[in-house]
Amino acid sequence: MVPMSTRHILLGLLATGPSHGYDLKRRHDERFPQARPLAYGQVYTTLQRLVRDGLAEVEGTDSDGGPERTVYRSTDDGSSELSRWAGEIAPPAPFVTNEIFAKVVVSILSNGDPDAYLRAQRTAHMERMRELTAVKTAKDADLATVLSADYALNHLDADLRWMTTTAARLTTLTAEVDAA
Amino acid sequence: MSNNGGTPVPLLAGRDLARKHGRTQALRGASLELHTGEILAVTGTSGSGKSTLLHCLAGIVRPDQGSVVYAGQRLDQLPEKRLSVLRRTDFGVVFQFGQLIPELTAQDNVALPLMLAGTARTQAHARAGEWLERFGVRGQEELRPGELSGGQAQRVALARALVTGPKVVFADEPTGALDSLATEQVMTALVHAVRESGTSVLLITHDAQVAAYADREVRLIDGAVAAEVAA
Amino acid sequence: MNGEARAGAHTGARPGIMTDLRLAWQLTRGSDRREWWRVGLTAAGAALATGFALAAAVLASLRGYYRVPVGNGLLNAPGERSGVIVSLLLLLVPVLGFLGQCARIGAVHRDRRLAGLRLAGATPAQVRRIAGLETGLACLLGSTVATVTALAVLLSRWDHPVTLVWFWFALIALGVPVLGAAAGALALRRVVTSPLGWVRRVRPGSGRGVGLLFLGAVLLVVLTAVLAVAGTSATGPGRGYGQVQLLMFGLVLAVGAGTVWLAGATAGVTGRLLAARARSAATLIAAERLRADPWATARTHAAVLLVTVVGTGFVGIRRTLLTELNGMRERHTPGMGMSFYTTGLNLTAAAIAVALAITMSGLAVGTAESLAGRRRGLAAQAAAGVPRAVLGRALLLETALPLAPAVAVAGVGGMAIGVWYASLPKHGEAGLPYVALLVPVGVYACCLLAAATSLPLLRRSVRPAELRYV
Repeated sequence: MVPMSTRHILLGLLATGPSHGYDLKRRHDERFPQARPLAYGQVYTTLQRLVRDGLAEVEGTDSDGGPERTVYRSTDDGSSELSRWAGEIAPPAPFVTNEIFAKVVVSILSNGDPDAYLRAQRTAHMERMRELTAVKTAKDADLATVLSADYALNHLDADLRWMTTTAARLTTLTAEVDAA
Repeated sequence: MSNNGGTPVPLLAGRDLARKHGRTQALRGASLELHTGEILAVTGTSGSGKSTLLHCLAGIVRPDQGSVVYAGQRLDQLPEKRLSVLRRTDFGVVFQFGQLIPELTAQDNVALPLMLAGTARTQAHARAGEWLERFGVRGQEELRPGELSGGQAQRVALARALVTGPKVVFADEPTGALDSLATEQVMTALVHAVRESGTSVLLITHDAQVAAYADREVRLIDGAVAAEVAA
Repeated sequence: MNGEARAGAHTGARPGIMTDLRLAWQLTRGSDRREWWRVGLTAAGAALATGFALAAAVLASLRGYYRVPVGNGLLNAPGERSGVIVSLLLLLVPVLGFLGQCARIGAVHRDRRLAGLRLAGATPAQVRRIAGLETGLACLLGSTVATVTALAVLLSRWDHPVTLVWFWFALIALGVPVLGAAAGALALRRVVTSPLGWVRRVRPGSGRGVGLLFLGAVLLVVLTAVLAVAGTSATGPGRGYGQVQLLMFGLVLAVGAGTVWLAGATAGVTGRLLAARARSAATLIAAERLRADPWATARTHAAVLLVTVVGTGFVGIRRTLLTELNGMRERHTPGMGMSFYTTGLNLTAAAIAVALAITMSGLAVGTAESLAGRRRGLAAQAAAGVPRAVLGRALLLETALPLAPAVAVAGVGGMAIGVWYASLPKHGEAGLPYVALLVPVGVYACCLLAAATSLPLLRRSVRPAELRYV
């Protein structure tokens, strides 16, 4: 998967209007339901870097009854950088970092049981897929939730298919790894 | 789905099922249990005996060996006539395609099981209409299977399988001929409907994404159960 | 180099008739049992057609009074001979219906195979030729067998046949396979235009192509019959007699042609009306199937109706004639020996019985084929708990529903012929031939029986093993 650019996602959220850090975090977690939630610290350091690079600026403060918060807004440079990034294609799998494959090979090298490992991994994958499917079939699931769950489901499914064909060809793989 | 302690009696249980098809041994000692309100996925590569297992459990074929117990009755020992009645009243079936009668309209297809059970046609039509609406095929009642899209036809087939209020729905690759969006619509419709009515589902599929709609998965390898994966 | 390769491909893509013939032969040889059924039944039909046509041709080649060593002298005079010729040619009608039904055996499978040929790069004309040759080969087999048998019989009974006979023999022996090939090519013309669509889609119901073919064939038969009758009667003494027969022939044909249309139309109307009102599942399924494809059965049903018209008419005429003959015998004035007349009547009765048998075979073949074509669907119905009895009832109703009104009308038509004949001034005292009314009832019963022969096949069709295959 391509690493997410928190900078650009925050810039995108700012594109709808000025906002403060807490609000940005809340909106992020809402908009990308199955993604890893943003930490507050990460939101504030990223916002400061955006200001430093001239892509965002401080609009003012807003207390709204509670503690005082800094409100940020996007600059013109910020919106042009955002549209550049949004139009840029994501590099399709630049490096194959396949932890499962690495474990299978290591398991063969160390005379372990790669087949048992693959079965256990499959079980874990299926369980996660069931969780995600339950999330998306819930009666009140909105489209964003369904789509982000689908994204993860398709990737897990791809892993599963790969594991199934690998399990079927373990004998050949073992011979190949042992010979090398 | 969690059971509140103890070992509840399964609604449907197959034990040590063996069945030959010509010279190939399709099933060799497969066992599984299906509980009330549970969606159970049976997965495996093609030729692993999934369909034969479903046929045995649904009373469509008799196993050569082993037993099938449904609600306290030995299905493998029931006469064909009673099996036929049971399949009509307690079971619903959905196949990949072909279960709808091509000459009948969507509504008549769904009404058919009710008419077979003796319901008057107008009443059967009304019930069929309700089910078609639940499956989002309202407005297509008068179309015939050839005029429906694959996804619509499968939703009509689901409506037909559920219209009699069966205890178990047997679905053999119900989405096998559908694209991913139609698959999602059909499976979501199925899950919602059976969750509401507490119907059990035995779902045969080779697609992990479809199996993920189930509560539990049983994997068949060479006609026997390889692993059971509980939620 | 590229151009060269293309040129090479072009020469390869111009196969002659021999390549087609070889392909047709390979396809026939490599096909399954059902295909051999088709070949066998088509050959049998072609043999019957050849046999009837040859017999008619031999009789038609005689001029004037001629001593024929069979049939108690019935064939000696041109007047009676022309009657026999007409009967023989009329027998071709049910045979054609039967052949049409045979062409449908394995049609779905064959459509798929020919569409596959198209996808593999065969030209439309080539596929049409191959399809034609497949049927043509089966017909050739039948016509050869029939011709050889006929030759043997002819040479053993007739020392010096007239030369005209040889011309007819050659024409018929070759004509039947050629006509069969043409019909085969015609029947598959739609596969050729849509190789892909045909493979998956449920065929839309239209038997018009084959219906037109049937009508064309009937017209051909009529023309030949008219010519034959005109030929034999011209040199004989009984000219007026031939004209009465022509009139009867026309009457039979008019009622017959009406019933062809009636068969399809009643199937459609019955289906539509019943589909809306059906209360039981079996009636609903049967009615909707009729509505979807009313012409599917029209071909065989048309032959059924023709047999009904002819049969009813014949029984009526027979009764009148017999009454009259008995009266004559009491007055000791029969024109010829009694056996002369009874042989004629018995021969006609036999011809009608043969026609009925052929028609019923066609009907049975058609029902079996319709079952075989939707085995998977039927197996799915049975798996879903639709009782076999309901499927069986629907199958019988499909035959019974549209035939009831059509057979009734055909019976009335035949009865009209009988009544008309009885009312001719010369048979004044004969009375009305009510016995004839039993014929439509009998034919209807036979139809149900013929359809019922498919019930064992239904039992085999709904086996769950069928669920495994598309």
